[in-house]
Formats: sequence, structure tokens, C-alpha cells
Amino acid sequence: MKVTGLQVFWMIFTMEVGMTLVMTLTPGVQAAKQDLWISLLLAGCMTLGITALVTNVAQLYPGQDLIRFSQAILGKWIGGIVVIVYLVQWYTILPIVLRQFTDAIQIMILPLTPKTAIMLIMILLICYATYAGGIVSIARCSEVLGPVVILMIVLVLAASVNNVDAKNLLPVYADTGAMKIFKGSLPSASYLGHSVEYMMLAAFLYQPASGKRYAYWAAAAAAFTVLIAMTMTLMTIGVNLSPKLWYPFFEMSRKISVLGFVENLDPLTVITWVTSVFVKLAIYLFITAYGTAEFLGIKNWRNLVWWIAPVIIGFALIPQNISQATANYLLNYWVPIALPVNMIGLPLLLLVVGKIKNRGSQASG
Amino acid sequence: MKGLGTLKRCAVLAISCTLLAGCWDRKEMDDIALVMASAIDQLGDGQIELSLQIALPTGIPGTLQTGGKGQKPVLVVAVKGKNAHELIGQAQQQLSRKLFFGHRGVIIFGEEYARRGITEVLDTLLRFPDSRYNSFFLTARGASAKEILTTPYHLELIPAIGMKIMQNSQYTVGVKIDRFLDHLAADGTMPYSGAIRIVKDAQGEPTFQIDQVAVYRENKLAGYLSGKSLQAFKMIKGMGKGMKLTAEVEPKGPETQGTITADVLSVRSKIRAFYVKGTPSFDLTVNVDSRGLANDSTLDISKTPNLLRAEKALTDELNERLTDLLTLTQREFKSDVVGFGRELHIEHPKAWKKLKKRWTDLYPEVPVRVRARVHLERIGRTQAPGHLELPE
Repeated sequence: MKVTGLQVFWMIFTMEVGMTLVMTLTPGVQAAKQDLWISLLLAGCMTLGITALVTNVAQLYPGQDLIRFSQAILGKWIGGIVVIVYLVQWYTILPIVLRQFTDAIQIMILPLTPKTAIMLIMILLICYATYAGGIVSIARCSEVLGPVVILMIVLVLAASVNNVDAKNLLPVYADTGAMKIFKGSLPSASYLGHSVEYMMLAAFLYQPASGKRYAYWAAAAAAFTVLIAMTMTLMTIGVNLSPKLWYPFFEMSRKISVLGFVENLDPLTVITWVTSVFVKLAIYLFITAYGTAEFLGIKNWRNLVWWIAPVIIGFALIPQNISQATANYLLNYWVPIALPVNMIGLPLLLLVVGKIKNRGSQASG
Repeated sequence: MKGLGTLKRCAVLAISCTLLAGCWDRKEMDDIALVMASAIDQLGDGQIELSLQIALPTGIPGTLQTGGKGQKPVLVVAVKGKNAHELIGQAQQQLSRKLFFGHRGVIIFGEEYARRGITEVLDTLLRFPDSRYNSFFLTARGASAKEILTTPYHLELIPAIGMKIMQNSQYTVGVKIDRFLDHLAADGTMPYSGAIRIVKDAQGEPTFQIDQVAVYRENKLAGYLSGKSLQAFKMIKGMGKGMKLTAEVEPKGPETQGTITADVLSVRSKIRAFYVKGTPSFDLTVNVDSRGLANDSTLDISKTPNLLRAEKALTDELNERLTDLLTLTQREFKSDVVGFGRELHIEHPKAWKKLKKRWTDLYPEVPVRVRARVHLERIGRTQAPGHLELPE
């Protein structure tokens, strides 16, 4: 199973852009109000920082994934604990994303369809994609779907230009201040920080050395797209209404009215979003199955897919309502734990220890 | 699908077929009642009345049938109750088809209901998955909203579509739900909406007209703008294009009214906020570019001094209208519908933090300096009025 650098670009981009756009706008606006765009610049910088960390870590042991090099760098036990920390992230993000996807579809377009039906369709799809070709089929899917996502976002933004009122961004800074802007950048940063999964993906590259460049571009492109799209949304819907809506980006597309007959474009954004969710879930399902198999020494990771899928559905049904699924997970686990530990702390630890070890082995050898 | 047995393949196929058909949320054209407009009225006994204008599928002629003769194209359903949220369910009980709000173009509030406060319905509008924010808000004047929904309109098949098209044009002030809610939620500006009333046409048949603006104070209707104050309001909001401005340049003569009328080509309005020694004040500048449209005076406005005189007369007229509008909103409506507070917020954010809470009470007293300027860019095809003798 090998993928190209360009495929890695599309995988990271598609995975990050849709989810960030839809899920983190509201918490961001709630904290940073009209200065969200400053928060997003900050979030973009953080993402690039995270990407720099993980690409450097991955370069220490080209051709190996997180599970292997974590144990190679930190030893069997500590490395094992690090892997478990990541497995917790993967096993929790899968059901939560699935649940968020289901909630959004139910709220926006299919209010009467049972949750399990929507979940089942998605789960079957990602299981098939993962089982059939592993990372290769997912990579090819995102190579095709990624440009579609960009096209849809550009279309929606272009059609919204006549609804924009730049005054919604004023006054700058005075209402919020540095702390609130920083707080507003965290939800987006934590979602854009999915480039941390590069540590798993890098192992499958044809040329591990060239992957770094694509990871940077993916993170930068995703952050830029999110910046533009969110700022447009804020200018369209305004700072009074956006923090009260679950999905302001969808609502912006509902407002589109060009020439009196191009209306009701919200299916476009829903397609964008479903695509992004599909790529994200498929990638996570793959790395979870592959990682677990490697960690536990199971020979055929593919069989694990069929074990993990029911677990995901089971967990996805646990949250009682949309607040638990969307807000609580984001604000109680993803931002305070996953962002500092999984995305910054552990990669930094691996990088520092790995570098020292490398130097030590070079000196003694 | 390498590695899957025939049995598994069949299972996958069967599951996909049942799941992907999407029968839970299917909405067939034959099963839905398209709500084109809805209206809410306050009844005397504390109840609320919800009326829905529904497009009748049989009333809409196909390509073969022409003309709307015969059946009426819409049906108006009305239900009464205490709780606005339950009324939709009640209306559904009268209908064999499922109510569908995705194509609703206008929402009308009865005058009395708007005066009592409209918060109750707003939440439903936002929360309802079906409702889109592209609907226009209208406030009825001098009639109940239900009466307006039952008023026939002949130029379009469905009256609600007529209203929507009128609201989309530059001749009326159209406010969509989200803009209204945004103004309502914002500090430093008050919501407004178009106002619709019933008039008689030449045959004495009732028809509706959207020629006014309803001004709200918080969530309650405060009053209506019409005529000259509405013109001034549209100027400030930058919607003045195409408006006519008439001013007196000389005393009424034997043959002439002594007036000049200008057609507005473009308007640039700007509000500057000042905050000196704890008191806010504002400069309101309105610059109008116009072209001479009618000269009902003896002046030859191709001559520079006369042109300047005409410009001055128009400027004074506009100044007066703007001042009148401000007096109306400050003294009578006590509603910052122009949005001075928002400008203060943008230009003096620190001061705004202190004033925000009291703004609604402060607004009626704040001084506003009005500076209008009308520029006549061209004066039409004639120089001196063509029908008058040139003075010797």
C-alpha cells in the first residue's frame, strides 16, 4: 500500500476543511465575535506549527508509522503509553464525527429519518472503502473528491458575495481583546490540527522525504479556505446571529439568492460536508484498524474493520443530544486535551527524544 | 469486492437498497401543501390567529391551459389559538397534504400583533428546519394580516409571489427574516420592515400596496414611515436611487408652480460619531447626485447662478426631510432605526461599552447635525423650460 504526495495533500485538506468549517464556526464566534478572522490567522499559524512538528518527527524514521517509531524512540513501555493516548483519540473521534454527521444531516435535511439509518449508510461506505483498498482507495477517493469540495465552497462563496456586509467585522479588536481572540482560535486550531495524522500516513508514501512539502501545503490551504469561508459567513450572517446557529455556514448557503432564480443552494454545502466527513471517517477508520492491529500484533488489520465498525455505532448512540455530541466533546476533550497533548506535546516529545537518540547513535557509531 | 462471498454481496446490496431509498423524509409534490405566505394576527380575546396562503395545484394552469379563469389559485387557511407554536399543527389538521414552508416568500404581522410584541413567533422561524431566511417580513397597516392574505392580486397567479417580487424591487423597502432578526439582536440599531396596506384600485376592487416602512422599538411596532420621511430614510440607508426630489425655487407664478424636480442617480450617506466629554453626537452626511427631471419654474437652469440656486433649494429640501425624519424617530418612535448606535460602537468602542445599556433611553436626546448636499449633474434635454417665452 503506497500513496503519492499529492494524495496526502488531498487527504489532509479534505479531512480538515469541511469539518472545521461546519463544526468550529459557532464556538469560534462565541468567543472571538467579529475578530474571528484574527483568531483564524492564529489558528492557521498553530496548524503550520503542528504540521512542522509532525513532519519532522515522521522524517526521523522514514517508512515507519507512529506505532513503530514511538516505541523505537521512547522504548517499549513509554512508547506503548503514547500509542494508547493516540488510540484513545482515534477511538473517540470516530463515533463523535459519525454522530456529528448524523445530527447535522437530521437538523438540516432529514429530520424524520432515524439516526441509525444515516449512521449505517456512512459506516458501510467507510468500511467498504477501507476494507477494499486500505489507504490506497481512500487516497484515490480524496484525490477525486477534494477538488469537488473546493469547487463547491468556491461556488457557494461566489454566490454569496452580494449578501456580504463588511461592516459586520467592525470594530476590530476593541470588543474582544487578545485572550478572547486566542480562545476563539482554539476550536478551529484543534480541528485543523488533524494534520497530526500525517505521522501515520507518512509511512505509506512512495517518497517519504517529499511528503513534508505536501503536508505543509495541505495545512496552509485548509486554513486559508476556512479563513475566507468563515469570514464571508460572518460578514453575511453577522455577529449577532451566527453564535446562535448550529451551522452558520449552511445557513449562509440558504440565504443565497442570485438573479432571483438561483436559490436554495444548501444541498451544495451538504455535499461538501458529507464528502469531507466521509474522507475523514475513512482515514480514521483505516489508521485505527491498522494501528490497533500493529500495536496488538494482529496479522490481518482488515478483519479489525468489521470489529471496530459496530463499536463506533454503539459509541455514537451514547450521547443523548446534540449538545453533548458537538459542544461537550469539543470543549471538554478535543480542545483542552487532544490539542495540547496529542497534537503538540507528544509530537514535541517524540521529536526531541528522537533527535537526541539519533545524535547519540551517530556519535557512538 | 474481492474477498466477499456471494451471500455477503447480496446482503450489502439488500441493505443499500433499503437504506438509500430515503423513504423516511420523502416529500412528493403530490403530498405537500406549498405555503406561499403566512400571517399572524392578534385577536381581541388574547388569542393569536395564524393564516396560511397555500398554492392550489389545480389552480395553477399548466402549459396547455391559459389564463387563471375558473378556479382560484390559492387557499387561505386560518387557525386560532393561544400558543403560536401549536397553531401549525392545528392548521395541518385541516389539510390532506403536509405543510411545506420551503417556498414561503413573505411573513406578515398584523398591526395589533406587532404592537404587542413579536418575539413569540421569531424563535419558531429560526428553529424550524423547513423555514428559510429568504422570506420577507412585512407589517400590515390599517388591516389585519389575514385580510391582506385574502386580498386578490391579478398580475401574478399567487398574491404572495406578487408581494415577494415587489419586495425584491428597489421601489419598496424589503427586509428578510435574518436581517430583521440581526437588527433585533444587535445593540445600537432597531429593526424595521416593509409595511403593506390595502388600497382600492380604479374599479374599486381592493388590492395591496407596499409603500411604507414599519419601525420597531425592540420587538414592538413603534410607528410607520411614509411619504417624505420614508424618502429620507431610504436616502440614509442608501436605497435612494430612482427617487424623485421636488423643491420650491421661486414663488408660485401665474403659469408655474415654481418647483424643480430632480431624479436621484446615486446617494452616498455617511454617519460620523463623536464622543466628547461623555456625550455622544453625530454628523449625518447625505450626498446626492441627481439629474433635473422637471422644471416647473421660470428659471433657466442652464445658467450657472440659476443652477446653483436650484441645487440649494433641493439641498434645503433634503435637509428638511432628513431633520423631520430624525425628529420623528427620536421624539415619537424613540427608536434608533437608522443605526446611530452601531456607528458609535464602531468609532468609539470604549465609550460604547459604557453607553450600550442605556442607549435606547439616550437616543431620543442625542444631537445629530444633518449635512445634505444635492448635486445636479445634468438637466435633461432642454435648457430653459421649452413652453415658456424667453425673458427679453
